[in-house]
Amino acid sequence: MLREEFERRRRSNPRFSLRAFALVLGIDSASLSQVLRGRRAVSPRAAAALIGRLGLGVAEIDAAANESLRSSHERRLLRQIAVPGFVPNTRRLARRLRLRGDDVNAALTRLLRSGRLTMLSPARWAVVPEERR
Amino acid sequence: MAHPVVRWQALVRDPDQAASFYAATFGWSVDDRNALGYRAIPSAGRGIGGGIWPIPDGQPMVQLFVEVPDVEAALAAASAHGGQIVMPRQVLPDGDEMAVVAGPEGIAWGLMRPRA
Repeated sequence: MLREEFERRRRSNPRFSLRAFALVLGIDSASLSQVLRGRRAVSPRAAAALIGRLGLGVAEIDAAANESLRSSHERRLLRQIAVPGFVPNTRRLARRLRLRGDDVNAALTRLLRSGRLTMLSPARWAVVPEERR
Repeated sequence: MAHPVVRWQALVRDPDQAASFYAATFGWSVDDRNALGYRAIPSAGRGIGGGIWPIPDGQPMVQLFVEVPDVEAALAAASAHGGQIVMPRQVLPDGDEMAVVAGPEGIAWGLMRPRA
């Protein structure tokens, strides 16, 4: 959502820089750059605060916070799957990650659909590196 | 039918609520004693069985699954005829294989091959 807003502002003003956008958001431009490139995660609360500064509505803030939460579930799930001795079991994953089983399964489905994860056999799941997607 | 429809799946935002609704309305019972905690709803003789799964994105829907002898070959056929692969082939913990394809107008169909 931040990236879309940045691009929207650039379209209406091609001189609108990353630095200017960082000033609007009240964060430093290096952090913003990392966030926009997906190299840095933003907590749901921080995402809502940033979007609040853009003057967006409650529904958009909710959507952004939800998106941020879902990304966090996916990242945590991938980290857990990469641990040696991983057992493909939703209840176990939910306990480890302190999530609801349905949240684990929804994140799992998004990862499978986007090619970030693959179920190779009943007992073996593999995290797919970016260059092989 | 060459490749039969063998299963349905309700993709919903609140699976517990859906399970209660189906139990109260249709008398269907859920069995989730499996590795993914999948809320399976077996058929009681007639009709096809199904299940409930949390929807990852978008609008709640019912998805149908077509049984195929070779999931990769079915995906290749779908792609060759203008379909989109929504989810590539996966091997589920119970040994069944599955994938999801969308046809020309975007209707998503599950493909499945039961474990040997």
